[in-house]
Amino acid sequence: MNAPTPALVAARPERLRLVGQRRQILAMMHQRLMLGMLVYVGIIALIVARILYLAVFGDHAGRQGAITSLIPERGDILDRDGQPLARTIDAWTIGLHPNKLIGDKLEIARALTRLMPERDEAAYFAMMRSGKNFFYLRRRASPALVEAVNALGEPGLSLDREPDRLYPQTSLAAHVIGYTDVDGNGVAGIERTYDKQLATAATRNLPVQLSISSRIQQALEHELLAAMTTYSAIGAAGIVMDIHTGEVLAMTSLPQLNPNAAGQGSPEARFNRATLGVYELGSTFKPFTVAMAMDSGTIKSFGQMYNCPKSLSVGGRTIGDTHPFGRACSVAEIMKESSNIGTAQIADQLGTARQRDFLKKMGFLDRSPIELSEKGRTLSPGANWNQVERMTVGFGHGIAVSPLHLATGYATLFNGGVYRAPTLLKVGRDHPVAKGHRVFSEDTSYKMRALLRLVVTHGTGKKADAPGYRVGGKTGSAEKYHNKSLLVTSFAGVFPMDEPRYVIVVMLDEPKGTAETYGFRTAGWNVAPVVSKTISRIAPMLGVRPDKAREPNLAEVLRFVREDLEQ
Amino acid sequence: MSGSSFRSVFMVASCAGAALGCYLVSLRVASERAALEEVETEIVMAQRDIRLLQTEIGTRGRLAQLERWNVKVLALSAPAADQFLEGGFALARLTRPAPQDQLEAPVVLAAAPADAPKPTVQGAPQRQADNGDEGVSARDLLNVASLRTSPPSNRVTANLTARPATTVTADLKPKAAPPRKLAANDLAAAKPARPAADPLAPLPTPAKPTTATAKESGKAR
Repeated sequence: MNAPTPALVAARPERLRLVGQRRQILAMMHQRLMLGMLVYVGIIALIVARILYLAVFGDHAGRQGAITSLIPERGDILDRDGQPLARTIDAWTIGLHPNKLIGDKLEIARALTRLMPERDEAAYFAMMRSGKNFFYLRRRASPALVEAVNALGEPGLSLDREPDRLYPQTSLAAHVIGYTDVDGNGVAGIERTYDKQLATAATRNLPVQLSISSRIQQALEHELLAAMTTYSAIGAAGIVMDIHTGEVLAMTSLPQLNPNAAGQGSPEARFNRATLGVYELGSTFKPFTVAMAMDSGTIKSFGQMYNCPKSLSVGGRTIGDTHPFGRACSVAEIMKESSNIGTAQIADQLGTARQRDFLKKMGFLDRSPIELSEKGRTLSPGANWNQVERMTVGFGHGIAVSPLHLATGYATLFNGGVYRAPTLLKVGRDHPVAKGHRVFSEDTSYKMRALLRLVVTHGTGKKADAPGYRVGGKTGSAEKYHNKSLLVTSFAGVFPMDEPRYVIVVMLDEPKGTAETYGFRTAGWNVAPVVSKTISRIAPMLGVRPDKAREPNLAEVLRFVREDLEQ
Repeated sequence: MSGSSFRSVFMVASCAGAALGCYLVSLRVASERAALEEVETEIVMAQRDIRLLQTEIGTRGRLAQLERWNVKVLALSAPAADQFLEGGFALARLTRPAPQDQLEAPVVLAAAPADAPKPTVQGAPQRQADNGDEGVSARDLLNVASLRTSPPSNRVTANLTARPATTVTADLKPKAAPPRKLAANDLAAAKPARPAADPLAPLPTPAKPTTATAKESGKAR
């Protein structure tokens, strides 16, 4: 292409000055040539441009399948300190392609039985002869097994990697985190609630950070499991919560569940007692009744006297006490000895409307707003809320709520009286503290501190005291509705009581008496020690400094307690 | 003639040269880019490995496992309320030299050899003047023995000048109890480093203050 183009088109027209047709033909030929050349040049230019573009911006042949960033197949779940609670890793999968087998099938079946004894030789042999294309032999195989299978050298046995969900802390907080099915879809807990966020490509690079603290969770789980074993309980639940932000720092339900193999757990183990289970929690409700009465003005002081006979008959039902007074007693004494009769009278004075109003504002009549799908519907007297019901609700019977409700209620009562929705996500810039609404007055909240501390220092919850940490709280032992001989024991505690920061709720389902408890199985004997041990462990982690010199002002309540009742 | 006829050739050659140069530059850029990508990929792979190893370590060292080890082997428990200190002040209190009640305890100070005129000295320990009229100076004779009257253990503490010729007995009578005679040498053998720490009376012999402090603080902890 030695530049003849201009000569053909325009140069030396005198040489082309021929006559007639010939000239016309030539002109036409020129035009055609011109057109063809333009097309040719155009194509060349296009190719050159493309090559240049590729040279500058394009990929080269040696480029690998680009792994440019580390985005997991499914987002991580972290605890509040950044420790991973759920991660997706590449796991080995052993598969069988019966049609690609070349070795002796019987031999291979024998070798497979030796390596993976969950099926016998006959089963493996049948699979190989089935004529199907593919079988999973083992998902999430251990590296040692993969190595052994690889050593068989059989092309019909495939070793692949596929993303797999791993819960490094195994059963820790299993009911909060939840678990996924084989295909990686969340089916319980946070995995289910935030399934979309965890699975979507755009959002899964950001982990979901929970408010759970693994260390606190571990302490709670360990102590609770020990108690559950000691007292042969069928289940247990525990919650630790920050009362000012509503963050759940630990939430456990026993028996334990291993989310790595959730399918192998029993339905009992998969059941989340802390949120899905609703229980009549008994005397732990009494502080609410007293606080309601104080807020409404029916109780003016802790010295207000109520007539406490040995038993009280209302509407065909008899209310009894474990420590009957048989005399007039003050509000402080009622709370200290956990008197049903006294509390029933306080609740009666309060009236149904106000009681229901308070319970509604505390969220006790609705499902908890926490970020889990497993939430139980609370049970209340509903339309049939008369005198007997308001009396029994006053001391925690005839109303069934989850332990989480109870923890939220105590948080409301002691954070100055403001209800805040509990949350499982860490409170931070992306997730501000939930907006609350006032339930109790600040004054009531303040006065209740001394009353609950009294229960622990002088009353039924003595064993819950953790020296130096100023624990206050209330025991509760309720008979099960279907079998009165079985108990649900619970303890709701707050610490440090002079400046409340954390609430702890612990519950044991059907504990039995032991020799150490002299056969007693009420809350003061089995749940209260769990609270004491757990608080001694977790309070230093939470930054609560033990101080034996500090106490809430007990003088406000102690003067209303008759001394001869001291044991 | 030659210049004009070769002009087009030059033109093409220079165009080709320029294009080649541009191409070489872009080739260079592309190869640099590829190398960079390779490094990036390596980084990502390393991060993936780190993540995998972290996961493995985390799984092996999970809290439940640590707890199990603690229950079976270490048996560590949460610190009690008394084990927390309020601050530097409380920490300093742990290392105070000795409780003051040793001063009030009945103290027998010294015993002398047979020819020495002063067998015993009663009262609080104080510096004896150097008389110099005897072969043995009072300083050499001064021995301190004290009794700690803290309730749980009536422990006799004695400090010796460590002169083998001197026979020293420390006799202590707390609250009219029957006198316990203790051969001080035996005592010294039994409890070698237990100096009477009396901050007011500088002892004639070096009392190893560092040992005392360490011991005291050890006990207080």
